[in-house]
Amino acid sequence: MLKTQELQINIGPQHPSTHGVFRVLVTVDGETVVDLKPVFGYLHRNHEQIAESNTYLQNMPYTDRLDYFNSMTNNHAYALAVEKLAGIEVPERAEYLRVIMAELTRIFNHGCALGFLVNDMGAWQTALAFGIREREKILDLFEMVSGARMMCNYFRFGGVARDLPEEFIPRLKELMIALPSYTDEVEKMLRENEILLIRSEGIGILPPELAISYSVTGPVLRASGIPYDIRKADSYSVYGRFDFDVPVGTVGDVYDRFIIRIEEMRQSLRILTQALEQLPDAEGGHINPKARQAVRPPVGDAYGRVETPKGELGFYLVSDGSTKPYRYKVRAPSFINLTPLADMCRGYKVADIIVILGSIDIVMGEVDR
Amino acid sequence: MEALINYLLNTALNLHAPEWVILLIRHLLVATILFLVVPFQMLLLTYFERRVIARMQDRVGPNRVGWEGVLQPIADAVKMFTKEDIVPAAADKGVHLLATGVVVVPTMFMLSVLPWGPGMTPVDFETSLLFFFAISSVSAIGLVMGGWSGNNKFSLLGAMRAVAQMISYEMPAILSILALVLMTGSMSISKIVEAQGGLIANLTDLPKVPDLGLGWLLFTPVGFLAFVCFFISALAEGERTPFDIPEADSEIVAGYMTEYSGMKFGMFYLAQYVLNFALCAITATLFFGGWQGPGVSQLSAMGANNQLFSILAGALGVVYLLLKTYFFFFTMVWIRGAFPRLRIDQLMGLGWKFLLPLTLVNIFSAAIWAACIHWGPEQGLAFLSAFGPWKRWAIAFLSTLVINLLAATLLVRINSSAESSMPKLVEDQKFGAVTLP
Repeated sequence: MLKTQELQINIGPQHPSTHGVFRVLVTVDGETVVDLKPVFGYLHRNHEQIAESNTYLQNMPYTDRLDYFNSMTNNHAYALAVEKLAGIEVPERAEYLRVIMAELTRIFNHGCALGFLVNDMGAWQTALAFGIREREKILDLFEMVSGARMMCNYFRFGGVARDLPEEFIPRLKELMIALPSYTDEVEKMLRENEILLIRSEGIGILPPELAISYSVTGPVLRASGIPYDIRKADSYSVYGRFDFDVPVGTVGDVYDRFIIRIEEMRQSLRILTQALEQLPDAEGGHINPKARQAVRPPVGDAYGRVETPKGELGFYLVSDGSTKPYRYKVRAPSFINLTPLADMCRGYKVADIIVILGSIDIVMGEVDR
Repeated sequence: MEALINYLLNTALNLHAPEWVILLIRHLLVATILFLVVPFQMLLLTYFERRVIARMQDRVGPNRVGWEGVLQPIADAVKMFTKEDIVPAAADKGVHLLATGVVVVPTMFMLSVLPWGPGMTPVDFETSLLFFFAISSVSAIGLVMGGWSGNNKFSLLGAMRAVAQMISYEMPAILSILALVLMTGSMSISKIVEAQGGLIANLTDLPKVPDLGLGWLLFTPVGFLAFVCFFISALAEGERTPFDIPEADSEIVAGYMTEYSGMKFGMFYLAQYVLNFALCAITATLFFGGWQGPGVSQLSAMGANNQLFSILAGALGVVYLLLKTYFFFFTMVWIRGAFPRLRIDQLMGLGWKFLLPLTLVNIFSAAIWAACIHWGPEQGLAFLSAFGPWKRWAIAFLSTLVINLLAATLLVRINSSAESSMPKLVEDQKFGAVTLP
């Protein structure tokens, strides 16, 4: 084999498919990746420090901007942490509303993540356009309840900001009739597209031991074969009442991460159906009337975590008894899932880096806080 | 064309122009038309592509400038012209500039040998098919120049990919064309088109069969296999999805075009669309009969008496060719809207391990075809001439069909078994309930 000079290229920070201002310093030998170093911090905006100078409620809209794709689940994790810290009860109905919002978020996030991934493989936005089409319908629902499409800011301590408007449930039911056909469509496109298969099978394998030692969570971990889902492992809200499965992969390659996401969309639909059935019987209003929004939690600390579409999102809060958190720490799934990138990419081609990066499904707003 | 100019100058205007004047006027006229048609086609193609892709993606597409957005390409061109032309400080400026020309000019030449209609080949010579492919390879040099001179690693990677791809895919493309040359016995594009008249491919001089211009080479086993191989190679040569690896926007930004801006970028863009158009046109010409179609030859025959009919025949031929060409361009857009791209090693594997052997087998069957149709007592095969044209044609058809089918299935099997040396994962993956404490 001819010894050739290695070439160092910077993919990013301004690059069409690094999902934001993210830089990968790649050493390539021809087209083969010899080494890779993810460099981030370009979007650092001092989130945690700013949050420590805000009151607890002021941080709620601020968490929307972490993973700007899934503001509802971000709110959920933060609300959970503050409720633990201040000991606030959440009425049953509010919990159901939270679950509905979180699962809707998961569906459109996975749909778009698949679209972006196929986009990274070079398909000209068609899969993404279909994902966005479904997302629009869900965002309409979010706009209905919260007034905003992306930065929803819908959760409050002890519940959610508003109850559902009248036309919400019929619209949601309409959507849920259409969504299974969308997941089938995506799956058909995946399983039957030869090019997609050869681009994703056996690419970017993350062995389960490595995934655990990197503390990867979410679909990436489950694709490696580890059935770890916080909704089951550390059940919060009313997830214990629903019957749903945790899909796991066997190999941990890009293809597995693909299929896992499709399967999770199906499971989310199952949860949604059950939540809609149980919602009318749920007691209480949309918010605990006794819960004060200007919380002054007792001295102590709390960790609230949820299963966001991207993995475990946790908020660690330390209170010194004042209206502002003494310490505010975000455990961002995108950031932690990004760390094994080098191990996943080594030995593959340049084109695979992009696909592997796409399969992790990161949002830079969360990686650089 | 000469006849028309002769008619206009000498008969209608009564000028008694000598022959060289007529030839000169013809050449000037043809060159002007070609130079007008090329950018116009490019504008039309970009608009067409954007609208079709938008339709596939549940969008509207450009619909603001002019009626339904038809003037959008013009607006784009104005934007290109008025943009700042940025040359990187570390670039090799001479090569950087020259590359645009080296890329565009060959693609314009390609259109000059295409037969646009009956007797409407701008430059017609015996080896025009060879010229077409030879000149199309010249633009590869321009790509390397562009990729190297920009002093950008993405450009360099793109240029490396482009050249590797061009070389790998020119082989199957030209070998699949070689089969047609064997079948028709000519390397002139216009003669290959003329051979596709009648009703049955390669069987033109049948009595009592009207010349419907449907004897397309596609309808033979050799032609069909050659078409499949050639169109795949054409996608790769024209850098279309799923082979748009040299300019994979999600990987290496824009490949060799990364360091170009303004009209220089526009030139690369132009070259690419003209190349795509030329490749679609040559596919239509070689396999789908080019300008041949029902009515063209009848009108041409009537043109012997009245000049008007030969003009009509020419117009109809151009319409047929453009329809076929746009069909192929639509197919390219369709593929772009549906498929992700291959990786570079997979692309090389497809080219060298699958297409190349298949085209070689196809040349073998083309030789058998030619022997069955044309050979006779001179070659010591007197029994063939005893059969008559229909039987000979049937023998040729069946034998080549069997050979090509066997070759294709065998190659598919070999290539898929080579892949399955890697673990076949799809079947093993199971998803389902996992109960957790």
